[in-house]
Amino acid sequence: MTTDRFGHSLQRRLLITMAAGFVILLLLISVLLWTYAREAANRTHDLLLAGAALSILERMSVGPEGATVDLPNSAMDILSLNPLDRVQYRVFVPGQREITGTPDLPLPSDATLSAEPIFYEVDYTDAAFRFVLQGRQLNAPDGRKWVAVQIGQTVESRNAQQWSFFAAGLAGLAGLSLIGLGFVWVAIRTSLAPLRQIASDLGRREPGDLAPVGGTPPREISGLFDAINGFIARLQRSRALTETFIADVAHQTRTSLSALQGHLSLAADAENLDKMRARLIKADRQALRTVRLTNQLLANAMVIHRSDRTSLRPLALKPLVRDTLAESLRDSRMRNVTLSFNGDGIAEGDDIVEGDPLSVREALRNLIENALLHGPRDNTIAITLDADDQNVRLSVEDAGPGIAEADIPKAMERFTSLSEKTKGSGLGLSIVKAVAEGHSADLQLRRSTLGGLDVTLIFRRIIPLLLVLLCTVFSAGATQAQTLTIHSATDTPAMTPLLEAFEARMPGLKIEYTEFQTVDLYRSMLELDRANWPDVVISSAMDLQVDLVNRGLARRISLPSSVSLPAWATWRSELFGFTFEPAVVVYDHRAVSDEELPRSHRDLATFVRENEERFRGRIGSYDIRESGVGYLYSTQDSLQGLQAIRLFEVLGRADLKTYCCTSDMVAATARGDLAFAINVIGSYASDLTEDTSHLRLHFFDDYNLVMSRTAFIPKTARHADLAEQFMAFLLSKEGQRIIAEETPLLPLIPSQVPHSQIERHIRDTRGTFLPIRLTPGLLTFLDALKREEFLTSWDTSLGRHRQRP
Amino acid sequence: MRMLLVEDNDELAETIVDRLRAEGHSVDRERDGNEANELLRHFKFDIILLDVNLPGRNGYEVLRSLRTRADETPVIILTARSEIDDRVIGLDAGADDYMVKPVDFRELSARCRVLARRRAGSASNVFSAGPLCFDRAAKRATINGQDAQMRAREVQLLEILIDNMGRMLTKEEVADRLYTFEEAPSMNAVEQLVTRLRRKLEGSPLVIKTARGLGYMAYVADDD
Repeated sequence: MTTDRFGHSLQRRLLITMAAGFVILLLLISVLLWTYAREAANRTHDLLLAGAALSILERMSVGPEGATVDLPNSAMDILSLNPLDRVQYRVFVPGQREITGTPDLPLPSDATLSAEPIFYEVDYTDAAFRFVLQGRQLNAPDGRKWVAVQIGQTVESRNAQQWSFFAAGLAGLAGLSLIGLGFVWVAIRTSLAPLRQIASDLGRREPGDLAPVGGTPPREISGLFDAINGFIARLQRSRALTETFIADVAHQTRTSLSALQGHLSLAADAENLDKMRARLIKADRQALRTVRLTNQLLANAMVIHRSDRTSLRPLALKPLVRDTLAESLRDSRMRNVTLSFNGDGIAEGDDIVEGDPLSVREALRNLIENALLHGPRDNTIAITLDADDQNVRLSVEDAGPGIAEADIPKAMERFTSLSEKTKGSGLGLSIVKAVAEGHSADLQLRRSTLGGLDVTLIFRRIIPLLLVLLCTVFSAGATQAQTLTIHSATDTPAMTPLLEAFEARMPGLKIEYTEFQTVDLYRSMLELDRANWPDVVISSAMDLQVDLVNRGLARRISLPSSVSLPAWATWRSELFGFTFEPAVVVYDHRAVSDEELPRSHRDLATFVRENEERFRGRIGSYDIRESGVGYLYSTQDSLQGLQAIRLFEVLGRADLKTYCCTSDMVAATARGDLAFAINVIGSYASDLTEDTSHLRLHFFDDYNLVMSRTAFIPKTARHADLAEQFMAFLLSKEGQRIIAEETPLLPLIPSQVPHSQIERHIRDTRGTFLPIRLTPGLLTFLDALKREEFLTSWDTSLGRHRQRP
Repeated sequence: MRMLLVEDNDELAETIVDRLRAEGHSVDRERDGNEANELLRHFKFDIILLDVNLPGRNGYEVLRSLRTRADETPVIILTARSEIDDRVIGLDAGADDYMVKPVDFRELSARCRVLARRRAGSASNVFSAGPLCFDRAAKRATINGQDAQMRAREVQLLEILIDNMGRMLTKEEVADRLYTFEEAPSMNAVEQLVTRLRRKLEGSPLVIKTARGLGYMAYVADDD
């Protein structure tokens, strides 16, 4: 027999203990490392917050209405360096009034405003934010005055960085720990050498060699050493006991056989036939006793041999007892015995115990045998089987002489027969006792109501286990017709081919498509109850979409790996662009020739000013107050160094006509009302001009802004799964192909083969196209103050005087 | 009775043969399983005593081929192994009884007599034990030549008990054989029937032993 190497390896145990030690150490270090990683991540990201705060503070000034700010684009650009997190900001005069931004941002509870940045973390709108709060004193007519900037970012990027610092640090430490464990292993092997010494000593021994293990053990294992020697001593004693038993058996058997032999010899030498017969009758009885002794010795050996728990199995006692009794009744010695069995008190299934049928049968048979042997010829034997909650009791009672209370312990010893007259082998009850021990059953001996002995075996019952069936309830019914709601700022006809293709892919699906203007859609998302949000929101106004996502309205989705998007067209795995729509100039080549059109944006203002009279009232562009796309193009133009205000003034002097949408501008140009229209959505324009021969598209050489129509799934979307599938479809090869071939839109991922003039142009001059990036940078011009200022200057330039709201 | 002992140990075989011959039986002895099998193909015996461990083929195989030939000769298996599995195999293979060696000759003779009675009960039309005489064909039992005045059910019960002599029958088994399915007898009815039959058998050596909770067994008292 070999020891279970895996269960009880000392080396393993020591290694595991050491490993556990290392793990605890690692855990302690982890806590420190975790804090450190957080600090490092915060330091890095706080620089962004501080930089943004500083750049905003720099742009604060005192105007006629008090402190004001011209929100710098750089602030949001700095924050956009962190590509993951949402942004919140607030500019205010402490204790007096809000200047701009979100007014309800939480302030630190315990810090006062100063010129030094204060960083703190707090939950805001269900997400963890880290804020910076920094102040500055401004010289106002009524003295020096504090103004404050508060900027916050969600902490996702910090968390990610913290994890990455932490993982890197921990990996190094884990490596070191493994090397340490290696040394421990070597040390253990060295110090366990004495044990191997003992092992080889014991391994080489002859079975009979029970001398103590010699030598001087190291102090640490002297206990083991003593235990081994103690065990050897006990083994020696046990062997002595076994030898005694064998000697006893030998003695019993030989005595029995000698007596038999003696009777037979005497019979052989008998003087006459009568004496011989008397001797032979004695010999016959002696032979019978010898046979019984032998049988019981064998039964005893068998029971002890089977008493290890491996032969136990669930066993129904009632049929076993019944069969054994029916069998014993065949014996002709049972003819005059009244045998009864009472198993009425036990129901089927209640009689199951862990048992070995052979041993139980042997025990029962020995008890009956005992009753036969020691009781009168017309003995009464009653067997009772009953059960309570935990136990099954098997009693065998008889009307024989019984055993006196005082003799009971002695009765169960081997080779002790209490009755001289009947001369049992003295093994019967000890067999029953061995069976009881083998079954962990209790054995009770007492006086029976029948007058004789009552032997009761009490077995532990196996309580039948109730099988609890876990019913998995599947949502019943076939897939019901589902409705995917889309709120979109895109012409319905432009989207129809995409919607139809998706509906065709998903049988049973109905799409409810509602068209909005960009600003209306934005407002409806802010005003609608969360529960009424649609499943998908699509808009061409990238800045408004970024703002909605920045407010935490969108759900994070994972697109199939086959979809790969340019980095500028996606933000936070929540907002995705799916078209490529450059701003173009549409012109009537009869009114303005291709050659004279300005090559770059810079030349545009000059060109208009120089031809002011010629183009008066004949230049068109978006009404940027009404059109989100128009505002987006306009503000993005201003970021490209174009002096927006100057251009507005020039256009204003030339009586710029403003429109809500591209189609109206193209129509006006086609009618001849306009000579040209600027910042028209290229994709639509290209589609609309195809049928009108005098309309042409013009691209600038310096740059052409590119807008992408974006989509996100609101957090409370009712059919988020479907919506996610729809998004994946929009960006799939098939979706992009449909956009290219069947809609006036242009695909985000360029087709292999261009389908139109404009696609060809885009492919050939890709470098001049400047996509607007989906980042919090787009939030700058959504700042209420900034926006109002921009629009006011636009109004003023165009000679439209508005009352400030 | 004509008996066959199949036993390879000569000493044991000799004592058994002597004992049984002394009781007036004619006994043949075989020491080899194959030879015993051949012999049994051609000759009929009243009882076969069959050892398990035999040269040639073992006792169970001999028994199995005997039963395959639809030979219903009573068989007592003699075995030195006391483990139950062997017995089950023996009884399943069609043995009528078994005994564990060393066998008590008195017990062996008793079992032989019971089997002989059982066989006599089912094979011939007339069963007799001491003063009791039961004519199966005429459905009539007499004690000392006097009609025992048995009713049909009692005759039926007597027949069942004689066919299963020396074997425990549960009350349910008795009821199943006595009554048709529709009659749905009470166990009480069976008890009363047994009591009546026992009374009518008074004066005969046929004893109906009741073991409460187990059932009934019939045996002939003189045989023991």
